[in-house]
Amino acid sequence: MIAYFRLVFRSTWAFVEGLWITLRYLFKPSVTVQYPTEKLVPYDAFRGALLFDPATCIACSLCAKACPSACIALESQVHPETKKRVPKVEWYTLDLGKCNFCGLCQEACPTKPKSVWHGLDYEFAFSNRDEMVRCWKPGFPLAGRVWDPKKKAFRDLESHIPVRDVEARR
Amino acid sequence: MDTMFVNLGPQHPSTHGVLRMGLTLAGEVITKAVPDIGYLHRGTEKLMEARSYAQCVVLTDRWDYCSAMPNNLAFCLSAEKLLGTQVPPRAQTLRVVMCELNRIASHLIFLGTYGIDIGAFTPFLYVFREREMILDLYEALCGARLTYNYIRLGGVASDVDADWISKCREFLEFFKPRVDEYDTLLSFNPIFLARTKEVGLISQSAAVSWGLSGPNLRGSGVSYDVRKSEPYCGYEAYDFDVPVGEHGSCWDRYFCRVQEMRQSVRIVEQALAKLPEGELSAKVPKIPKPPPGEAYAHVEASRGDLGIFLVSDGGAAPYRIHVRAPCFINLAILQDILVGKKVADVIAVLGSFDIVLGEVDR
Ligand code: SF4
Ligand code: SF4
Repeated sequence: MIAYFRLVFRSTWAFVEGLWITLRYLFKPSVTVQYPTEKLVPYDAFRGALLFDPATCIACSLCAKACPSACIALESQVHPETKKRVPKVEWYTLDLGKCNFCGLCQEACPTKPKSVWHGLDYEFAFSNRDEMVRCWKPGFPLAGRVWDPKKKAFRDLESHIPVRDVEARR
Repeated sequence: MDTMFVNLGPQHPSTHGVLRMGLTLAGEVITKAVPDIGYLHRGTEKLMEARSYAQCVVLTDRWDYCSAMPNNLAFCLSAEKLLGTQVPPRAQTLRVVMCELNRIASHLIFLGTYGIDIGAFTPFLYVFREREMILDLYEALCGARLTYNYIRLGGVASDVDADWISKCREFLEFFKPRVDEYDTLLSFNPIFLARTKEVGLISQSAAVSWGLSGPNLRGSGVSYDVRKSEPYCGYEAYDFDVPVGEHGSCWDRYFCRVQEMRQSVRIVEQALAKLPEGELSAKVPKIPKPPPGEAYAHVEASRGDLGIFLVSDGGAAPYRIHVRAPCFINLAILQDILVGKKVADVIAVLGSFDIVLGEVDR
């Protein structure tokens, strides 16, 4: 009988102790962020969606060689008269569907500032596989475009949800 | 009595569809248990055979994704043995800091999810608050919260600054009293004790002969820790204890992890106090080609003894790599200890093993 009441008392006491901890936290400021109305800006080192700048790229292919997932493909421009390759990029594609955000391409890029780099953008949702392949060409906007294999042409992203509240960092 | 075959699981949050247990039940009692793993099939070991050593580090992040730093470290240690690289002291110390922080973060997940397994939800929310703080530290340092690719061949990827160190110290100070709170909420809670204290007993000899490692082994009272028995990264210079359990029950395994978090805090404090100046990384060629040979290195990862066996044929990619993944080996004993237990205990036992299936089915 005594053992029974001791058990009841011990369990009740443990319950009260647990509640006491919870109660103390009840009056502390909450750590929850009300996403998506509230957003966290990542740290500067954050490896978010990759960005590319065709103006500075020298088409050296070091990034493509460094990439463990073979996400990157590019072609360099050809001089119209001599037909020789020039250190300028003709087009550059990056498959965000394969990318594992390791940062090796960014580290391999020899240009200053980097021609391929991780932006701070972490909000990119796609509704189909094709849109994950982004393409950059000289004269195209920074965010890149999609290569449409059916139409054999580039097009703007349609269903990509571009939330660009976080500024592009270089 | 008629028996019934029941598929149990996936049940633990980190088993997401990969671990199924085929249980044969006589009433409520298990007569046969077969852990059936599979369906992840990523074949990292094979993938690595087509990648340079530096690229392989990226893949190691994906084994034990709850604590990826020790994976990075184990691979790098093994590759550095092949290459004969000497890692500078600052990088060694940073490796220790990161791995110990990762141990805390990983044990925190265990704590929360094990609480859920047993039926306590609140600690789950608390542990994620603390884990987030560690992940913030990682994000500030190396840019990723889960797959770090921070420990590299010859050293580490980036340096800590004074700001980072003070933030890390702040976290440790914040964290220490929290562990006591967990003790109140879970460790010494009578309901939790009733569900775990006498459950899933593993004797010392069984633990050793099934090849358990990490807190699962130490919970049975075997004081084996790679950090003590074969120190790497200068662990011999740190003052810390190896917590062991008494009976090898679920609670012992659980409490070992709680105590290990306290020890990890001690190690990080010591490491930050003596962080030497100097280089971050030794000189390693961009595409290293180690001479033909083989190497084995192992570390005490959050879930046990993680070993990497590497064979080089002199080429740019490993000729063969094998991973001794602690979770995979820890799982085997389930078929033995579950027999004769009640169904309700399966969850408590499985949870107490703290498995991550990324490491089981590599
Ligand atoms: S981040 Fe890594 S996986 Fe992604 S493109 Fe760069 S190198 Fe390839
Ligand atoms: S992005 Fe950088 S590494 Fe890649 S081709 Fe251009 S210059 Fe070379």
